[in-house]
Amino acid sequence: MEDDCHAALSDLQVFLDGECGAALERAITAHLHNCAPCVHRADFERELRVIVATSCRDVAPSGLLDRVLVALRHS
Amino acid sequence: MEASEENSGGGVVSASSDSQSAAPVREDGGPVRQELDETERREVFTRDALPYLDALYSAALRYTRNPADAEDLVQDTFAKAFTAFHQFRPGTNLRAWLYRILTNTYINNYRRAQRQPQQVSADAAGGEDGTFSLYDRIADATSAPAEVEALSHLTDDEVKQALADLPEQFRMAVYLADVEGFRYAEIAEIMDTPIGTVMSRLHRGRAALQKALYGYASERGLVPAGAAGADESQR
Repeated sequence: MEDDCHAALSDLQVFLDGECGAALERAITAHLHNCAPCVHRADFERELRVIVATSCRDVAPSGLLDRVLVALRHS
Repeated sequence: MEASEENSGGGVVSASSDSQSAAPVREDGGPVRQELDETERREVFTRDALPYLDALYSAALRYTRNPADAEDLVQDTFAKAFTAFHQFRPGTNLRAWLYRILTNTYINNYRRAQRQPQQVSADAAGGEDGTFSLYDRIADATSAPAEVEALSHLTDDEVKQALADLPEQFRMAVYLADVEGFRYAEIAEIMDTPIGTVMSRLHRGRAALQKALYGYASERGLVPAGAAGADESQR
């Protein structure tokens, strides 16, 4: 059990990125199906990504679009 | 008008173009935008590329950590992209192509001015080896399920600052993956680095980000200070 958790968690980030490959994805999904603590941890990591993604978006200052358009006109 | 403009010619893309999908600019790509005259090219570029203004500005701000430099970087990026737009193949990944230009322009023209170290050492990340887990730190000090609750009280500025605290190459990789949602292969192309390097930077960068977030969270008492700075020696 502990070993299963260790195996699942060591690839958790790659799994959450959707880049771990089909076999590993099946194995980790199956583990998460049966392991509440690992689900809890996975949910935490997902939530953290959402927070980072939403916090780090900015809107370009007004005027930048005009600057860009002027620059393009002279390109 | 020509609603299918993006698809015109798309049906005869050779099989090899799939395996090269990570390379938005093809030297051997044949005619791409040359069918367009100057005015049309400008119109298509304005229509397709300028909607990424806010996204590129966000990235530029994360890269430069300075609003004035970020604005200049975005302007330079669009100017370069437009100049090279005849090389861009319709139907390939315009967004990744723009980020690659942004990243190259930053590295070539801005990083030096900012006197950033070129290479990231383990020390530059505060000795971060990728093992720091914010979840573990919070879970050690609180009873579940308080972990997510603690996160929700972090402000946007704290999260931005935590990202800004990271060494440049970690910062860029984490931003491109976690904010922009690029795939590893796209990040490798944008940063001009092997996928294995992308994965390593992401792994260590995310751990370093969690460490920085933990610092801000414990400073503000969002997590009990008992676990602050504690090493594995703490039970």
